Amino acid sequence: MAEPTFFGKEWAGVVRDALTAGPSEQARRDKLPMYWDFFDRIRSAYPASWALGCRNLPAAPGEGPAYLFVQWAGGVVTSCQVVGPDEPLDATYVLGMDYPDWKALHDGYDAQRTVMYRKIMLEDGDLLEFFKGIYFFVECLAVIAAVPARYPAPVQGLRAR
Amino acid sequence: MTQRKSPTAILHEGPRALSSDQVREIEESDLAGVLHVDIDDVIEYVHKDLKSLPGFTTLYRRYLKQRWDVYDLDFTQDKADWDEKMTEDERQSFIAVASGFHHGERQVEIELPVFMIGASEEEKLHIAAQIEDEARHTVFFDRFYREVVGLQGDDIMDILDASFPWVSETFVGPFGLLAYQADEVRRNPYDERARVRYGTNYFLWIEGVLALSVMKVTLSYARWRGFLPAYYTGFTATCRDESRHVQGGMRYLQQAVRKDPSMIGEIHNTLRTILSLSGVNSRQIYYEPLGWTEDEVRMLFFQQLRRKLNDVGIDLTPDLEELLRRVQPVLAGG
Repeated sequence: MAEPTFFGKEWAGVVRDALTAGPSEQARRDKLPMYWDFFDRIRSAYPASWALGCRNLPAAPGEGPAYLFVQWAGGVVTSCQVVGPDEPLDATYVLGMDYPDWKALHDGYDAQRTVMYRKIMLEDGDLLEFFKGIYFFVECLAVIAAVPARYPAPVQGLRAR
Repeated sequence: MTQRKSPTAILHEGPRALSSDQVREIEESDLAGVLHVDIDDVIEYVHKDLKSLPGFTTLYRRYLKQRWDVYDLDFTQDKADWDEKMTEDERQSFIAVASGFHHGERQVEIELPVFMIGASEEEKLHIAAQIEDEARHTVFFDRFYREVVGLQGDDIMDILDASFPWVSETFVGPFGLLAYQADEVRRNPYDERARVRYGTNYFLWIEGVLALSVMKVTLSYARWRGFLPAYYTGFTATCRDESRHVQGGMRYLQQAVRKDPSMIGEIHNTLRTILSLSGVNSRQIYYEPLGWTEDEVRMLFFQQLRRKLNDVGIDLTPDLEELLRRVQPVLAGG
């Protein structure tokens, strides 16, 4: 089966399934139960939505920066779709990251330093509220990045900044 | 380094006055002399001036006198201690604690420059000095990891990459927040509310609580066992530097609240986020080989937080007291 295209409609559907399934058994084994208890507690009551932007997304002419919109409610993803540059965007937290950093995350760079090194940045939303759920967000970011996908352009030579 | 005081003795000592000789020894020791300074005295020294916080020019003048050359340290004996005297359990516990510092020093170095933009001219001197301090501390850990632990790499980032597997996943709580707060300040450098939130995380929590507490763990171990003399010297000198940073940071927060009492709400909101994350661990760090338990380390965190809030005159709201009570461990016999 062909892999879905990164930031395509089909990809968003696979991301939704992956977020619903949550972190892998391997990821869960690598961290303490108290950490996952905290993750599950945040997830069960998370009332917010994310718009995760991809800047410089290689795309056909006429297309441009896009967002992955993820709505959480009652511990599940109730909406997960790609929102184009010309469509209205209404999310609790809007974040943005360059395409090469999305690709690096997919290729194995860790989600923790993706946040800490400001590869992904909060563009809109209450910062202190967002960070109350940061462990949940980081683990979900890793899940999203791990979804098999066809990335349209190779990237080389990434370093921390 | 002849004294063999228990590493956790400080938990039971409570606040104490330093003699003028002790203060002089801390303030005036050159790098070689720092080896003989008791780390508990340096941590006590951090609090000495918190009630009558020194001005930024005074702190800058102290920096000029206390500045040390990280390349003067000789890690030869440390390497021998690491390889031949320390047990594998001690090495693993030590590196698990020290790696947080390796990355923490780098983070506080690169996130500080934006805070200078909205500062007073005198505070700019102090912040410029602090940035240089943090850069020097980053080099200190880079040397320690290369020359003692034996990590290899072409540049500073290679060594950071190599030590990152020892960093807990919860590190992103305070340090990811700091990165995003720095970006908030970068976008609006004169937004005093954003600066107070940033200062609460950076100066009160990361430097005043996390750094001083965890410094204490590895330094008291080194002093207790008589190991790692260059590490003890450089990191105790680092702790002396941190005393200036904490005093400057607490002065900034105190002045901000005096100027606008509603700023206390920004401090409380920031602590609310930090404390909501601070009761969680992602991996087990065994402090026992270093003479501590995890609960004792967390107890030290909250002792440090309480003392700084009390000294600077910041009260907590009932919900924050409750949050603190829930995340604070109770030490048997503590």
